[in-house]
Amino acid sequence: MIPVEFYVALSFVLFLIGGVGFLARRNVIVTLMSIEIMLNAVNLALVAFNRGMTDNHTGQIFAFFLIAAEAAEVAVGLAIVLSLFRLRRSVRTDEADLLRN
Amino acid sequence: MMLYFALSPLAVVGGGALLLMMVEALSRRSNGLAMGTTMVFAAGLALSAGVWLYGVEDIPGLEALAPWIVIDRFTLFFDGLLCLAGMLASLLAGGYLPEHKMNRGEFYSLLLFATFGGMMLAASTDALTLFLGLETLSIGAYAMTAFRRTSARSAEGALKYFLLGSFAAAILLYGFALLYGATGHTDLAGIGGAIKSGTKYPVMTVMALVLIIVGLAFKVSAVPFHMWTPDAYEGAPTPATTFMAVAVKAGAFAMMLRVLLTCFGDAKFMSWSSGWPPALATIAVMTMTVANLIAGRQESVKRMLAYSSIAHAGYILVGVVGTMRSGSQASASVLFYLLTYTVSTAGAFGALILCGRRGAESVSYEDLAGIGRRHPAAALPFALFLISLAGIPPTAGFFGKWFIFRSAMDGGLYWLTIIAFINSVIGAYYYLRVLVYMYMREPAAGAPIAVPMKSGYVNAALLISAILVIVLGLTPGSSLDVAVKAAGVFGG
Repeated sequence: MIPVEFYVALSFVLFLIGGVGFLARRNVIVTLMSIEIMLNAVNLALVAFNRGMTDNHTGQIFAFFLIAAEAAEVAVGLAIVLSLFRLRRSVRTDEADLLRN
Repeated sequence: MMLYFALSPLAVVGGGALLLMMVEALSRRSNGLAMGTTMVFAAGLALSAGVWLYGVEDIPGLEALAPWIVIDRFTLFFDGLLCLAGMLASLLAGGYLPEHKMNRGEFYSLLLFATFGGMMLAASTDALTLFLGLETLSIGAYAMTAFRRTSARSAEGALKYFLLGSFAAAILLYGFALLYGATGHTDLAGIGGAIKSGTKYPVMTVMALVLIIVGLAFKVSAVPFHMWTPDAYEGAPTPATTFMAVAVKAGAFAMMLRVLLTCFGDAKFMSWSSGWPPALATIAVMTMTVANLIAGRQESVKRMLAYSSIAHAGYILVGVVGTMRSGSQASASVLFYLLTYTVSTAGAFGALILCGRRGAESVSYEDLAGIGRRHPAAALPFALFLISLAGIPPTAGFFGKWFIFRSAMDGGLYWLTIIAFINSVIGAYYYLRVLVYMYMREPAAGAPIAVPMKSGYVNAALLISAILVIVLGLTPGSSLDVAVKAAGVFGG
């Protein structure tokens, strides 16, 4: 059986990849995917931690709630991206520069 | 049966949102929706007050809700505060949306759902319900920010808000996942108990604390996690900005107090040498200073008010740091400050709405030039709210700051209080600058002269805020008692 620590390490790596991707990439779609990777890291961590606990299943249930709520969040996010694309013909965050100091 | 009574503020706002959505779908006109929304919020406010006065401690059967949510005085305080904030935002929307040709009914449903999320957030005592409340609040706010569909600025502000908001939520959730791994609990009380008795994984606990503080700082828009705030506030339709500035911020601070004081409320994590107070104090100092310095340079009043809301988050953080030593006195000052901040900020944005009309929305200082003499009915309330935001007596804002500073002083945080005081003096500069433009400047030759819009809804919102600003400024005692009782749930 693969030890829990391996999963936790993987989830940590995923979280970092997602975080770096969010900060470094300029394409909104890739940025959204990076956030999804971070959230999947959360899911993986929750489920992995749950395996070491015999008295509850909160981690697994939490992961289901997360998946559902994130789907709703991304639906709104993509709608915003679409509406910006219709107006600016671009999905790059560095070209979204109408608002600044 | 009494359980339903205790849950009635949540139920009436949630049920009202569903009902209004149906009404909106079936009726062709959406003129009455603002009034309906306001009524739902008024009912929520009245029911929160009712449960408060009945005595929530005497209601049997509330333990059935554990560990997911709790109905206590803290929850009821925020239920009332959020209903008040939602009510002011819906009144402003009732005037603003038709004036600027955006009168679609979805706004009111979104407003109600988002407020419901905020109330849920204040009530939740488990990471799962906390997350659901936060998402309900945030998704509604994202959609309201993007509500002006033809404006690229609105979409851009919403995009920045959405991206950084989801990023913050992911960071916060990873913190809770690590806490779950370290303690085996997702309920805040269980996490707190496990941390108090010492976990097997101290490193993971500290990492979780760092992630949670970063996530919370994003949500309350503290420097250096504030980049989204001015853009989202400027791009959004002004009633949505009002909602973000007052309700989202109140919900986020409710979450911050609940999480920090329940999960990390033990002697070790509350101490200056080994806990969160120094980190939060640093964030508070940066937030106040940076926001005030940038706010003074803005040409747009709306953007200035956005930076001002960041600066106010800094003052509130001083109160949160104060809980380290002054306990519930400091958390009470935070709650009272949120109340004064809500009425002053909602009023200021409302007055800004009132000073513009279709095709000529007032946003910059120049737009407001000379309005004081021509339209005193619009300028006078604006002046009142700005004086309150600046913290000048005898307005609500003065006592908000007074109680925060006093509790920080009682906790021995003299240097922090001094920095906060200097900042509030700097802050007065840009608030008073609006007054100078309104009363002492004339518009440049050939520039359009601002004409206020006419709307009973906006006037009603301004009247409610103005009364509260003055009442809280003259007799803060009774509301402070309410805040003290609400903060009493954390003990100490």
